[in-house]
Amino acid sequence: MPLLKTPAITLNSRKWGEADRIVTFYTLRFGKLRGVARGARRMKSRFGSALEPFVQCELNLFEKHGDSLYRITQADIREAFVGLREDLTLMSGAARLANLVAAVTGEGDQGPRIFETLVSGFRSLEDGNDPALTTLLYQIKLLGLTGFRPQTDHCTACSAAVGPTSGTVLRQFAPTSGGLVCPDCARRRPERCLPISPGSLALLQQALRWTPDVVTRLKATGQVRAELEAVIEAYVTVVTGKHLPPANFLAAEGNPQAYGTRD
Amino acid sequence: MSVEHRGLLSQLVRELVRLPGIGHKTAQRLAFHILKTDGEEALRLADAIRAVKERLAFCRQCRNIAEEELCEFCRDPKRDRSTILVVEEPSTLYAIERTASFRGLYHVLLGALSPLDGVGPSDIRAQDLIDRLQGGGVKEVILATSPTIEGEATAIYLTKLIKPHGVHVSRIAYGVPVGMDLDYADEVTLTKSIEGRRDL
Repeated sequence: MPLLKTPAITLNSRKWGEADRIVTFYTLRFGKLRGVARGARRMKSRFGSALEPFVQCELNLFEKHGDSLYRITQADIREAFVGLREDLTLMSGAARLANLVAAVTGEGDQGPRIFETLVSGFRSLEDGNDPALTTLLYQIKLLGLTGFRPQTDHCTACSAAVGPTSGTVLRQFAPTSGGLVCPDCARRRPERCLPISPGSLALLQQALRWTPDVVTRLKATGQVRAELEAVIEAYVTVVTGKHLPPANFLAAEGNPQAYGTRD
Repeated sequence: MSVEHRGLLSQLVRELVRLPGIGHKTAQRLAFHILKTDGEEALRLADAIRAVKERLAFCRQCRNIAEEELCEFCRDPKRDRSTILVVEEPSTLYAIERTASFRGLYHVLLGALSPLDGVGPSDIRAQDLIDRLQGGGVKEVILATSPTIEGEATAIYLTKLIKPHGVHVSRIAYGVPVGMDLDYADEVTLTKSIEGRRDL
């Protein structure tokens, strides 16, 4: 039963039993892990708020023989991201990033860059960058790092060049194929493909190429943004195999006026 | 010994396993206990479950558990009707009631918003609260949702919803539990307790 020690970000935390929590983390050293925090819901729990979603902590835990869940022994806050708790829009964006990482990573698969990108995404949201665009760009970064990088140069069906410099005008994105398809292949495909203009494609390629610390310098409005949001939403649904709660989950219920920070 | 595929007993185990926090082994142990216990005691348990399902419902006004159309608090004429304290679940209501420090009315949301799990406003009893406010007479709403991500999301959402009705909205205090050593408090709790300090 070796004691593991690693920086970690809480992706989700669920009530368990009388006063416990089952917490899903993405850790710097061991990838995604799930552990039990005994007594975490008690008033005087030693964990305090360290196991709340989005909090980055220094985690101590050990593996119990014959149990798939780790036992969490200590968690000390490194970065609390308090701002993400005080604004519904930021909270929804952070929740989308956490849900995406939880859905597309396997337990125990190491990915230090995924960890760093998630931390960077939370910092960018908290720093006041456009929340919807920041969430979109970091989803693209995380897809690229988790083995689901969208194919943006060639047709995923026939390998014909369809990138921004190929001269093809009517590009389509096929979510189930994970990338672009040429007009001929798009016509032959049974599933719906989504249109993607040269501007949207260039933005997608830049988001995949740029490092997390500068990716929020990218700007997008109007059609480019709407197209890319639709493409990524459809692609995320395919790779996760489910509809993740939307990044603007209140707006989805027709309550956009309810958005915002507490006065 | 497994009781799978053994008729009535396995049926009881299957029902017990559906309860929260009960695994197969525990369900099996409970089933054998019920089997061994005398008939009257087992039937009392069955009657209690039946009575809860047949005679308890949610209060028409506040959504607390009630044996009649209105719960005991909504019926009580001595309660202060100008203040409503909002909680996520009935269990929290009874925890607050045990303190004997609140004499107003309650509103139970029967859940909390969760951006992580996709629990939205239509999944909680927020609109019922707004309907109560529109009835007039309420001066303050105290939000006593948990200081978790779900509780915070719910408090922010309700604040936006309530303020246009001209009702004062307050949030229960954040801070250090009584009897705790400050050395052991985490950063978020300490920060919140400093922000929420009060004059003496």
